[in-house]
Amino acid sequence: MGIERPFWRAIAVFRVASLLYAAVLMAQHRGYAEPLTGWLVIGVMALWTAAAIFAYSVEALRRWPLLVLDLLVAVACLLASPYAQGAQQPGEDTMPVPATWIAGPVLAWAVHGGRRLGTVAAAVVAAADLWLRIHGPDAPVLINGAVLLFMTGVVVGHVARLAKRAEERMQRAVEMEAAQRERDRLARDVHDSVLQVLALARRRGQELGGEAAELGRLAGQQESALRSLFIRPASPLPAGVADLRALLMRYGSDYVTISTPATPLALPGAVAEQTAAAVGAALDNVRAHCGAAARAWVFAESGEGTVTVSVRDEGPGIPAGRLEEAAAAGRLGVSQSIRGRVEGLGGRVSITSVPGEGTEIELTVPA
Amino acid sequence: MAGGHGGTSGEWEETGRRRDLRVAAMVRVMVVDDHPMWRDGVARDLAEAGYEVVAAVGEGRQALRVAGAVLPEVVVLDLRLPDMSGAEVAEGLAGMSVPPRVLVLSASAEQDDVLDAVKAGASGYLVKSASREEFLEAVRRTADGDAVFTPGLAGLVLGEYRRLAAQPAPAEGPRLTERETEVLRLVAKGLSYRQIADRLVLSHRTVQNHVQNTLQKLQLHNRVELVRYAIEQGLDAD
Repeated sequence: MGIERPFWRAIAVFRVASLLYAAVLMAQHRGYAEPLTGWLVIGVMALWTAAAIFAYSVEALRRWPLLVLDLLVAVACLLASPYAQGAQQPGEDTMPVPATWIAGPVLAWAVHGGRRLGTVAAAVVAAADLWLRIHGPDAPVLINGAVLLFMTGVVVGHVARLAKRAEERMQRAVEMEAAQRERDRLARDVHDSVLQVLALARRRGQELGGEAAELGRLAGQQESALRSLFIRPASPLPAGVADLRALLMRYGSDYVTISTPATPLALPGAVAEQTAAAVGAALDNVRAHCGAAARAWVFAESGEGTVTVSVRDEGPGIPAGRLEEAAAAGRLGVSQSIRGRVEGLGGRVSITSVPGEGTEIELTVPA
Repeated sequence: MAGGHGGTSGEWEETGRRRDLRVAAMVRVMVVDDHPMWRDGVARDLAEAGYEVVAAVGEGRQALRVAGAVLPEVVVLDLRLPDMSGAEVAEGLAGMSVPPRVLVLSASAEQDDVLDAVKAGASGYLVKSASREEFLEAVRRTADGDAVFTPGLAGLVLGEYRRLAAQPAPAEGPRLTERETEVLRLVAKGLSYRQIADRLVLSHRTVQNHVQNTLQKLQLHNRVELVRYAIEQGLDAD
């Protein structure tokens, strides 16, 4: 995650600056009874500052052991303060030896784990700080430091999390764009080479006839299948709305022609699915009654608040009264399954059939 | 709209006479497709069927340049070209002093492009998966000045009229008569002109005219829109 690096650099700067501040306080303040111990603590802090700056700059080391160690060192330095102060009464302005340096691990936890971990680290350090003050003789219990620590943990954690999330989103957007570009490039390449050859094979096959025609037909099927892979959705539809055209296109083949407008036929998702399923049932019916090689035409158009799909074949047609007969005999034929689906959606079905001239089934569903 | 794509029946007759004068002169065809194998296959089919293939090119700009020189009567145009869209090429061809008739040959998936090309002046559309016979028949009809409508194109054109009707200023857009709508819907349902003529008790020629009219109104509207757009842009620029 590239976005974290500036945070770690900023924390490193803070650690060094707060270390210098602690050293200056130590040098100026003559109030400590045991300056040697004090300088020892400053020495440990300096060593740890160097170690931490290095360790946090290596991504593989930014793990729990480091974070816990960081916090422990800070708390230890804080708790060592009374030994530097010795028996002397601390004045009101006396700071513990590490001073603001103790905020280092709080920042690190917040950047690494967000608001919650920042708060946890702040709680640990603040608890140690308060414990010192409560046990310090006569010193007023100031909670300013604790409040600032919590604020640091929460705010920095929040900002770090936001930044990480923004970076992730950016990353995803870039990946999606790259994927779409790659897809477009593939589509172009496939169009320029494979599809043309398949279309040509199909065409020559048809002319040669016999087995070549069968091969050509297979090439043609692959051509349609490949093409359908590269259809790009023109404009995204709102959630829960489907474009009936896309569902109908799946039925297109050498024998089935699909005609639609150039603009989406937007239907509620479930309505579109059911309508497409009803069209599928009608096409199955064409194959069952007119043979696998029977031609069929599917035509979809939008009306006033409706979408109408017609499925037409040029088979033998349905003799008058046949559908009623079937229903009377308790057979739920295909017309029943189509009617069931469409009327369930609040739509209408009309079946027109002239013996010898084929059948047309027209489905109208509310959009 | 100058000559070109059929016009009223009077114009057809005139064009027909002009062709008669040339008697056995072969129809001059230009093939525009960016794939060499496909281009050669189409050109060979056309030559075998007795057409004079005057040019076979693979790019849009080149097509417009060459068309100005060889003056084809029919252009077989693939919509996917490396440098221009099919609609742009169709528009360029329609703007020639002797505009050729344009038969669009394309993949079924390129619906918007087909509609744009037809609005820009193409007078026919055939899917690339059509058989050789269907293709040659389509070229013949295009050369004769007829619109070549697949069911797919009829669906697109109907959809376009509906879209125009739904637009805010509906009074200006082109309208289909009831008869034209009826005919186009039957074309979209896969009926042949002959079958439509039988069903509606019309002559074959009348059916053809209805289909042709739907296309011409759309093309005219498209041109008016383009001119209006150009004027608006020009006025804004001043």
